Amino acid sequence: MKTYVLQRLVIAVLTLLGMSLVIFTLLRLAPGDIVDILFSTAGYVSPSEKQAIMKELGIDRPYWVQYLDWLRQIASGDLGKSYRYDLPAWQIIRPLLPVTLELAALSMVFAVALGVPTGVISAVRQDTGLDYVLRIFSLAGLSMPAFWLGMVIILTLVTWLQWIPPLTYVSPAQDLKLHAVQFLLPALAVGYRSSALIMRITRSALLEVLREDYIRTAWAKGQGGRVVIWRHALKNAMLPVITVIGIEFAFLIGGLVVTERVFNLPGVARFLVDAILWRDYPIVQNLVMFIAIVVILANLLVDMLYGVLDPRVRYGS
Amino acid sequence: MNRARIAALPSLVVLLSLVLAPPATSQTPRHGGTLNLMLREELSPGFAIHETGTISTVWPAMPCFNNLVLFDPLKKTESVDTIIGELAEKWSWQDNFRNLVFFLRKGVKWHDGQAFTSRDVKFTFDMLREAADAPAKLRINPRKDWYANIEAVEAADPHTVVFRLRKPQPSLLLMLASGYAPVYAAHVPPASYRTGCVGTGPFKLKEWRKGEYVEFVRNPDYFVKGRPYLDGLKYLIIAERGTRQAALQAGKLDVAFPGETTKTAAEQLKKAVPQLVITPVSQNVNDNIIMNVKKPPFDNPKVRLAVSHAIDRRALVQAVHQGGAVVGASLAPKPWGFWGLGEKDLPGLPGYAAKPADEKAKAMKLMAEAGYTPDKPLKVEMVTRAIAIYVDMASFVINELKLVGIEASLKQIETAQWHPMATRGDYQIGANLTGIGPDDPDANFYENYGCGSPRNYSQYCSEQVGKMIDQQSQELDPKKRVELVYAIQKKLEADAARPILDWKIDHFTVWPHVKNLIPHQSIYNFGRMQEVWSDK
Repeated sequence: MKTYVLQRLVIAVLTLLGMSLVIFTLLRLAPGDIVDILFSTAGYVSPSEKQAIMKELGIDRPYWVQYLDWLRQIASGDLGKSYRYDLPAWQIIRPLLPVTLELAALSMVFAVALGVPTGVISAVRQDTGLDYVLRIFSLAGLSMPAFWLGMVIILTLVTWLQWIPPLTYVSPAQDLKLHAVQFLLPALAVGYRSSALIMRITRSALLEVLREDYIRTAWAKGQGGRVVIWRHALKNAMLPVITVIGIEFAFLIGGLVVTERVFNLPGVARFLVDAILWRDYPIVQNLVMFIAIVVILANLLVDMLYGVLDPRVRYGS
Repeated sequence: MNRARIAALPSLVVLLSLVLAPPATSQTPRHGGTLNLMLREELSPGFAIHETGTISTVWPAMPCFNNLVLFDPLKKTESVDTIIGELAEKWSWQDNFRNLVFFLRKGVKWHDGQAFTSRDVKFTFDMLREAADAPAKLRINPRKDWYANIEAVEAADPHTVVFRLRKPQPSLLLMLASGYAPVYAAHVPPASYRTGCVGTGPFKLKEWRKGEYVEFVRNPDYFVKGRPYLDGLKYLIIAERGTRQAALQAGKLDVAFPGETTKTAAEQLKKAVPQLVITPVSQNVNDNIIMNVKKPPFDNPKVRLAVSHAIDRRALVQAVHQGGAVVGASLAPKPWGFWGLGEKDLPGLPGYAAKPADEKAKAMKLMAEAGYTPDKPLKVEMVTRAIAIYVDMASFVINELKLVGIEASLKQIETAQWHPMATRGDYQIGANLTGIGPDDPDANFYENYGCGSPRNYSQYCSEQVGKMIDQQSQELDPKKRVELVYAIQKKLEADAARPILDWKIDHFTVWPHVKNLIPHQSIYNFGRMQEVWSDK
């Protein structure tokens, strides 16, 4: 197990290195740079002034020098300076991290809490009215983009209650109740789509397991429905569900971009889009690396869970 | 008392009660309260007004600063007659408008406690005009042209400053009254305004939480006694348009962003919240067509003129802006602006005939003279910025051009590439938007039509027009100047220098408890907030 985890961590470092190269290259391939944007707000461009600013920001150097400089900065724990804000990148990024992590975690909790039980009910009550209702409910979730659902939630609240959630970040220390409201609604918008997918996978995996011989044996032994379904069947049906949860988590981070924008949450995802538009390389590069680390860790966690859920899974040396 | 007198009695009582009644208490300014104001994007670059040309910076940064002079915030229409002193207590033109002397207020302090003197004024304007001995240099200086006529800025004593001009320029005062002309502190590096704000203004910066909000608190040492009325201002950055509207509707925002509310949006808001106060006002932003006069086919005046004849401006106003814009030439038309040609002056200019079919026929005739026929149409690439308001306008124009035998394909250019491309002249024809700071001919003509100006994207250069621009700038008789400005506008449209399609109208929206926030005909000049109070 230790060897396996170590192997995975080495692979993770190599993956991150590859990611760093990809994001660095893609950013430079995109037309324009921060200096063009700065001039854009002024409505003109002066080639000599442009050259001076490029030199000031260090983006006139060869790409490979800039890349190695970035890696050196990461290794020394320095994330560089935001071009746009003229401040250390870490100072900009640090307050964003807890917002996105909390929203992602809450969305996932919501998705699992809604998706797994409804999937089980739907499988157990296959082809009944309840099954059809739950399947329609899940199909609706898959069909609705998170930003659209978010906007519908906001417009409904405004129209009916003349109220919308806070527009600036409320920390739990400031007001726990308001903080919960601020995060629950976007978590609902994001988590609904994921819950729909989890529900459908749970249902199909469980239906497959319910037809296995050992389940028939459990019923024949006279075990109660709750024990058969939740202990024997669901545990064996969970591997594909866990896999989907891992994949969904990676997608979910992408989905947060629009949800954070709609609910005006100051998180990583919303800032990332802004930083890309401004070609603020230090911010974009480091935020993408952060997202990559989260996704890699989530996948590692999923792989570890396989062994916990299914004793037959063994981690090779 | 006869019957007629008896009948008139109730009216008389009502009239007397109106005349004799004390003013409604709600109209007496009150101190206190904080306003929440809308921002649609982050401030970039911070509070450095002199390094940018966007309302997204000017609007939230203005309360921190003061100018020498400012357009009276309580008067809707800006003109030389509505200019009031700010840091300058009074001013005087001397030597036939060649010297402008400012007598500065005494006892004014910067937000960090240092005293304001003439040194700060000299520092700011030497930096802006890029004087050889300027003690500081801006990273980007978009309005250098505004100050090109200043030969020297002299600090005669700590409270007197003299602007010496190369030639008479009454308009200089109007440019100095714009929100784009604050005075910076000489003891603070200009770069520091990108991350903070040390001004003399009515509000002091409390906190700028990146991507979230900018918060100001009342400046207790403000030099105008009893001002500002408000305890604070909070500008909330909301990137999503739908969320901004919802926040305004729910009362989480007291004031909309200038230039934000279209006619359609205003109608929806009014329906949802009838008590909202919505004021139609000019944005001082126009839709226009830029044609590269240095490159074929638009180096041919006939082709340029054909384009101008082909576009039905009135149809564009209805189709693209749902009536939320007005037609006009290169300066905002009356009554929305002060200098522009009105509806009655437009017929006779390309694109303004009563029957659009007549204009199309003229365009086709010009195209034929230039060698293009329906069998041999002109094929061009039209560029525009990849933003919905640009693309909508460009799509309409392309359709109009097709009707006269010009087949244009649309190329959308990302914001980062738009101005570099336009400045380089790396295009044939483009659909563009132009915002103008103060509603003043000098600020507009030199910037957008001056030979060699980096914002003269069409690269149109006419010696005759150049002379006319200089002449109006030096004209001391206001009536004669207006006549000259009208003539220039007609000439520019007749030359199809940069055909103007329409002027956008904003529907500036506030909640009824917001008092004394009067929108002006230029969105860049009324954000000081000194006189604004809350009746909540």
